[in-house]
Amino acid sequence: MFQNAAIIGVGQSAYTRRPEAGQTALTFMRDAVVAALKDAEVDAKDIQGMAVASFSLAPDAAVDLAWKLGLSLRWLVQDTNGGSSAVSMLGHALRTVESDYASPILLIGGDATGLAGYAKVAANFNTVTQKHLAPLGHGGPNGVYALVAARQMKKYGLEKSDYGHIAVSQRKWAAGNPNAVYRTPMTMEEYLAAPMVADPLSRYDCVPVIAGAQAIVVGRREQAPKTRPAVRVRAIRHSFNYDHQQGDGLQTGISTFADEFWKMAGVKPSDIDVASIYDDYPTMVLAQLNDLGMIPDNDIATFCRTVIAERRLPINTWGGMLSAGQPGGHAGGMNGISEAVLQLQGRADARQVKDAERAVVTGYGMTMYRYGGTAGAAVLERGA
Amino acid sequence: MSEGVTIWRCMKCRTGVFPEPLLCPRCHSAQFATDRVMEGVVEEISVIRHMLGQGNWQPRRIASVRTSDGQLMTVGLRDESEPDARIELFQDGEAPFGRAKGT
Repeated sequence: MFQNAAIIGVGQSAYTRRPEAGQTALTFMRDAVVAALKDAEVDAKDIQGMAVASFSLAPDAAVDLAWKLGLSLRWLVQDTNGGSSAVSMLGHALRTVESDYASPILLIGGDATGLAGYAKVAANFNTVTQKHLAPLGHGGPNGVYALVAARQMKKYGLEKSDYGHIAVSQRKWAAGNPNAVYRTPMTMEEYLAAPMVADPLSRYDCVPVIAGAQAIVVGRREQAPKTRPAVRVRAIRHSFNYDHQQGDGLQTGISTFADEFWKMAGVKPSDIDVASIYDDYPTMVLAQLNDLGMIPDNDIATFCRTVIAERRLPINTWGGMLSAGQPGGHAGGMNGISEAVLQLQGRADARQVKDAERAVVTGYGMTMYRYGGTAGAAVLERGA
Repeated sequence: MSEGVTIWRCMKCRTGVFPEPLLCPRCHSAQFATDRVMEGVVEEISVIRHMLGQGNWQPRRIASVRTSDGQLMTVGLRDESEPDARIELFQDGEAPFGRAKGT
């Protein structure tokens, strides 16, 4: 448990499928920063540290963004861990605040690549993708996770509708999130009738690429607004390149630290009231939940048909990226953290989970070759 | 196109690695010799039916393959091979492909 460091504010920009003229990743990030600073009741001139993750910064770097935001800093990080960047940046910031080196710290994620820009990112994700995957016409991450999903279905006896329970459930949550790009309820029939993208993944298994940004303020607890308690972090862990891409991808890096993670948190999976699980694909939601020990007896099929279908455990209550949209994996991961903060502070409005006291958040990303190579998780708790 | 797919064989522990490493993931030796794997078994397949940013996309098949030497790689399938099929591997540029043996 961090004694002094906590999350003291969150904010986001508008989310949109099609940015208007003049809207760029930088303007979305600016909007998120303004919202987060207001939420934290922190003046920009008091910010001492900043971390940013985005596919859209180049050729600029983090210091250029700091310059454009008018921030003079003593601590600066540019994180490149994709869908786990949010948890990664949160960990860096918490440890820095706890050590009393810098506080408050602003975390930023955002992108506005557009579909064509995202296609370029996907085909040039790393040198291995450029050399060994893109020439196959592999379909970007959709193709990669199609193979992982096929493997998962075979290993755990899953049916297509099992993934549908996640998509349908999250869409129901999204109805209560005014920032989600898709809020209209979806039926299982609609899910199953959607066109195939990369067998066995169909349209609603794949995150919609959108434009938008998220920001989070981490600081000392006494820097939090007096009107509400800061959100504390009981445990946080990360993993990078956990198996050299030679496993089956059905376990994530979370599997390397789950036992130690829960021990450090001092709580059990059953103590969790709300979960933000990085959802680039339903397949990976299930893999991460299983790694966390939140699926009894590793019986993923039964878990989908009961816990998820009946919404016994609130998972991705903002609609997840599958419904709210993915403004790059960086900001998508931050949205999960921000949602957990809102839930724990009783500020989630129509989607509020009653008496939410503890949340687990995860990140997963960087599709190096056959699946993602980075992961992180944290347990958040409503402050006293 | 060339028969087989290039892998990198650690000179110290003989582990075959794909894609190309800098240090062996098993023993961390920096000495490698190239080798080739000629065949593998299809484990999973997918048909890529839609590609972001591509209007006239023709569906393509890809597969996760375990090579005869043990590496796991993603290949483009040039025929209708199904899971469990033993296929021959070939390389186009640096990209691995596969097709049913003897075709």
